[in-house]
Amino acid sequence: MRAEQQHRYPVYAKRPSRTWWVRTGPYRRFALREATAVFAGAFSVMLLLLLFALSRGRMAYEGFLRWLQLPAIVALSGVILVATVYHAATWFRLTSHILVVRLGRRVVPRSVVSFGLVLLWLALSAAVAYLTIWFAR
Amino acid sequence: MAERMMTLKVARYRPEHGPDPYFDEFEVPYREDMVVLDALNYIKDDLDGSLTYRWSCRMGVCGSCGMMVNGVPRLTCSTFLREFDSEPIVVEPLENFPVIRDLVIDMSDFLEKLKEVKPWVIREKEGPVGEGEYLQTPEEVDRYKQFSMCINCMLCYSACPVYGQDPEFLGPAVIALARRYDLDSRDQGRSQRDEVLGVDWGIWDCTFVGECSVVCPKDVDPAAAIQRTKVSTTTREMLSLVWPFETRPRPAPGTTPP
Repeated sequence: MRAEQQHRYPVYAKRPSRTWWVRTGPYRRFALREATAVFAGAFSVMLLLLLFALSRGRMAYEGFLRWLQLPAIVALSGVILVATVYHAATWFRLTSHILVVRLGRRVVPRSVVSFGLVLLWLALSAAVAYLTIWFAR
Repeated sequence: MAERMMTLKVARYRPEHGPDPYFDEFEVPYREDMVVLDALNYIKDDLDGSLTYRWSCRMGVCGSCGMMVNGVPRLTCSTFLREFDSEPIVVEPLENFPVIRDLVIDMSDFLEKLKEVKPWVIREKEGPVGEGEYLQTPEEVDRYKQFSMCINCMLCYSACPVYGQDPEFLGPAVIALARRYDLDSRDQGRSQRDEVLGVDWGIWDCTFVGECSVVCPKDVDPAAAIQRTKVSTTTREMLSLVWPFETRPRPAPGTTPP
């Protein structure tokens, strides 16, 4: 660690604020982006619970499906869906800041990169949905 | 017709008069082409000569006159009074820095960190002068030009909540300048800078709030520089795990790196 900054003269230093993340609109949006990650995590936990139930046989799996249909769990799933979509959308926008796509000497504009990523996402989701339905038949 | 006046609320800190900062309000005659710095100069010349602040070029190049204007880090020479509908306009010293006097902050922490990343072209071995300069193609210049526009105004440090919470953080401008030299085809000092950038208080302290890029008056986009450095250092690290036998050679001057 660095040594504490030494000052040759008296200075006024504000204490770091604990509530900085509510101070401005952009900070609040950042906090929301980070907080919605919890719901993305919750979705993964639900998926793991599903696999766990599946591994314990038909009874456990059907029990899990009934649990999923409880009104409180349906409501929670709705919240998880909205939060996860928001979280994903923020990262499509941010990825365009990180990813530099060059076509020859020209750099592809950020909006095009973001849009391309969303298209790719939709295409992959459609492919997964198609395969799921195809296997379910 | 009576002259239109505008009110400025200016933060004062004079350690010989007391330990805490306070505000003074000043009435300044309004002209459409006046910037906040003009108003401060009017105050110093005509109302209160003790007001202390930094400024130099008046044209957005020197990076001296950064202050918080209504809570947002701005270059006061490029911030017009006509932008503001409500009064008073609040002028404060840059956030996240210790204040020395009135609107003057202590920038020594930034200057120390800037030195650490060696923001200059590093060569493993200097060639003889007779061989001439290291040439670059326009494409090679384009790779780092945006990050070379930084004027060290430190607005990004003021906008960065991570730096506010953790003063150890190297910060946006310093990392953007490190990246500027890392991307330079003439430079061979990347591994030296990686040692400084790859620590907890380097690139990995950044949570990508992104406000540094929003307030940057030169569109340097330090947030992008930091995230891209995270990607490229991680990629190199992973590549060295699967192929530890040799490091990839630096491209010769005058050629485009892969």
